[in-house]
Amino acid sequence: MSEEIIKTNIEADGVKQGRRDFLKNVGIASAAALVASPASVEASAGSANPDAGITVAESLQGHFVLMSDQEKKTAIERLEKRYTAQYGKKTTVSDVPAPKGVLFGYALNISKCIGCRRCVHACVQENNQSRDNPEIQWIQVMKIPKGNFSFAADKLDTGYPKSSKLGDYGVQVGGNAYTAVGGLSPEEVQNYYPQDEAVPDKNYFYVPVQCQQCEKPPCVKACPVRATFRDPNGVVVIDYNWCIGCRMCQLACPYGARRFNWGEPNIPPEEMNPKTHYFGNRPRMRGVMEKCTFCLQRTREGRNPACLEACPVGARKFGNLLDPTSDVRKIIATKKVFRFKEEMSTYPKFFYFIG
Amino acid sequence: MLTTNSKNIPSIIIVVIALGAILAGGFALVGGFDIKNANHRQNNSAANEGAKTKAVQPVTECYESRETYGAVTRIENVVPQYGYPNIKCSKTTAGVLWYGDPFDGTIPMGTMPEINDSTHGDFTNAVVRPREPHLTYFNMGPNGCVTCHDGKTVPFPKDKKPRLITMHTDIVADSTQLKHGRGAMWCLDCHSATNRNKLVDRQGNEISFNQPQRLCGTCHGNVYIDWRAGIHGKRIGTWAVGGKKRWWVCTECHNPHTVQVNRFDQIKAESPPPLPRGMTSANYE
Ligand code: HEC
Ligand code: HEC
Ligand code: HEC
Ligand code: HEC
Repeated sequence: MSEEIIKTNIEADGVKQGRRDFLKNVGIASAAALVASPASVEASAGSANPDAGITVAESLQGHFVLMSDQEKKTAIERLEKRYTAQYGKKTTVSDVPAPKGVLFGYALNISKCIGCRRCVHACVQENNQSRDNPEIQWIQVMKIPKGNFSFAADKLDTGYPKSSKLGDYGVQVGGNAYTAVGGLSPEEVQNYYPQDEAVPDKNYFYVPVQCQQCEKPPCVKACPVRATFRDPNGVVVIDYNWCIGCRMCQLACPYGARRFNWGEPNIPPEEMNPKTHYFGNRPRMRGVMEKCTFCLQRTREGRNPACLEACPVGARKFGNLLDPTSDVRKIIATKKVFRFKEEMSTYPKFFYFIG
Repeated sequence: MLTTNSKNIPSIIIVVIALGAILAGGFALVGGFDIKNANHRQNNSAANEGAKTKAVQPVTECYESRETYGAVTRIENVVPQYGYPNIKCSKTTAGVLWYGDPFDGTIPMGTMPEINDSTHGDFTNAVVRPREPHLTYFNMGPNGCVTCHDGKTVPFPKDKKPRLITMHTDIVADSTQLKHGRGAMWCLDCHSATNRNKLVDRQGNEISFNQPQRLCGTCHGNVYIDWRAGIHGKRIGTWAVGGKKRWWVCTECHNPHTVQVNRFDQIKAESPPPLPRGMTSANYE
């Protein structure tokens, strides 16, 4: 497939202006600090300083989209060298551009999903998330009781504050902080059901949530330095090296899809995936955001995302929204489809469907 | 529900690994099962080194959608360019999580007759994993099922009337209560009476075990149309229309002898997400 991809230039419009001026001074200050400490200049794996592998040159590199071809090449070689040393295996960092005429879309069949969480762990394997301390997963599976949109009469007048023999205090319109009426209460949605639980439980349905790749992504609006932006395929990506770790995007995202590296990521070298992409699954640094990219290191080269391939029931479908014969378009045309939190006007390209 | 003794293998492996890790490393693994995460931090203590080598042994006997009937073995270095194995499996459930080579062990899907559906199916580059190697009875003799069902050793059935069968009770526990079709179906609606190596549809066409969709499709038309369109079932490989894809056939997900009990047999869930900082249990989620 990769041969079929026509070379395109990544749209730079979104990031042309908006340098992180307000951080310039801070940047210079910290650069000075880096230069002062010789340990940071030499790449060395496993030393006490978690950032030791990151060279000054890497810390000072510009926004990837604005780099010249030569700068990109240097940046990529620098990264490949660092990762190869760090994980003890030949690592490639690709910058394959987004294929032309493609808008990626995803469809997930919630009447099939069994909540086995294989997608969650497939994603971790593919995308080099930190395995522990911090443990990071990009997909979260919600387990929701069936038929419980609690407008039921018995639910309407239960709730805090409970009436006591002294009388009824407080205004109570049904439901309470724990069991909201007419909505999904946090009590009923379970994210942490245990491992080895036999799934599917017939009384529940399961809804995996990951980055919804919004057409109007609030996270992109929130980013003060434009480190996160929408690529020409409609995938919201992050330049991890440009990210300042302010976590504004995390707050802006209505889907809880973004994750923050609170510490130095931990990836066992033998499990590390050495086929990476600059905007995709290359290992992140501490203090930067990350999230689902529809596995762009795969999808830009024609392969399906890892979560789709792992799903044992085939609930996950991926394809080109601009191609009416693609799986996703056929689903939108023939099934009952909805978007998550449609009222937020984020226009996700991630669709849920039944049937 | 059918049960076979090999179902227990994954959990045994896990127990062994967990024991090994605990013994060698003296690790009090939080939650008792967090082998995956416990040991890969760089650590110089000799005891931990021991635990490390134990814990990194990858799981090799895995399964895809159906436990035992979707078994796959992990093979190292199938994609030398990246040092990828053919698959990576879950250390806790042995479920296949990740494909290094999505087309490993596949054969062409074979001819797929046209049906009257609008999408026509995109079978140009369709491959499947063959089903025959997964069938216990098929692999008992050199001639497959016909080793026994040759008309002499086991006589051909005289009619299609349901009766009690004393054989194959591991596959169909009680043949008078076949859990498919609500009492209206019999073995020979799917299995050929005279060539037991093949399935057979209502028109009497013999169908390979590797193409069960052609049989199931004759009764489950709507699902079959969706399956051909790529909506029902599963396809991996390339996403592009016309690209090479590995298709899952019906019996890779459904046990044709028990669908009435479980359309899809339960499997085990993988480990839950990390709890938010400061939270020690999810009881008040
Ligand atoms: C070890 C010998 C043996 C093998 C191998 C074998 N069978 Fe059988 N099978 C039997 C016997 C014996 C019976 C008849 C039991 C009875 O009549 O009570 C039987 C009965 C059946 C029946 C019930 C219908 C009938 O013929 O009376 C079906 C269906 C069947 N077998 C399918 C298969 C399939 C499919 C395979 C290959 C995957 C297979 N068998 C392999 C021994 C075998
Ligand atoms: C709905 C169609 C259908 C019916 C009805 C059916 N089978 Fe099967 N049978 C299949 C298919 C399809 C396979 C191959 C399963 C696979 O690929 O996993 C199979 C496989 C088998 C096997 C081989 C399993 C193994 O592991 O070796 C046996 C034995 C068998 N059937 C016996 C029976 C008997 C006995 C009956 C009647 C009581 C019966 N089948 C009824 C479709 C059917
Ligand atoms: C001879 C016709 C026939 C064939 C062939 C057949 N089925 Fe069925 N199947 C039925 C009938 C009848 C039912 C019962 C439908 C119901 O209860 O509403 C059924 C039910 C099912 C169900 C459960 C559906 C539900 O609504 O609960 C599944 C899953 C299924 N079949 C899968 C298969 C698979 C897989 C195959 C191929 C190996 C297959 N069927 C072949 C007739 C058939
Ligand atoms: C990748 C796995 C997978 C494959 C392949 C697959 N199915 Fe299914 N099928 C499912 C799951 C999961 C369900 C939903 C089960 C439930 O509702 O509990 C289902 C449901 C069904 C149902 C009943 C509900 C419905 O949607 O009408 C039928 C009938 C069925 N499948 C037949 C087939 C046939 C025929 C094929 C092959 C052409 C096939 N399936 C291939 C996973 C699969």
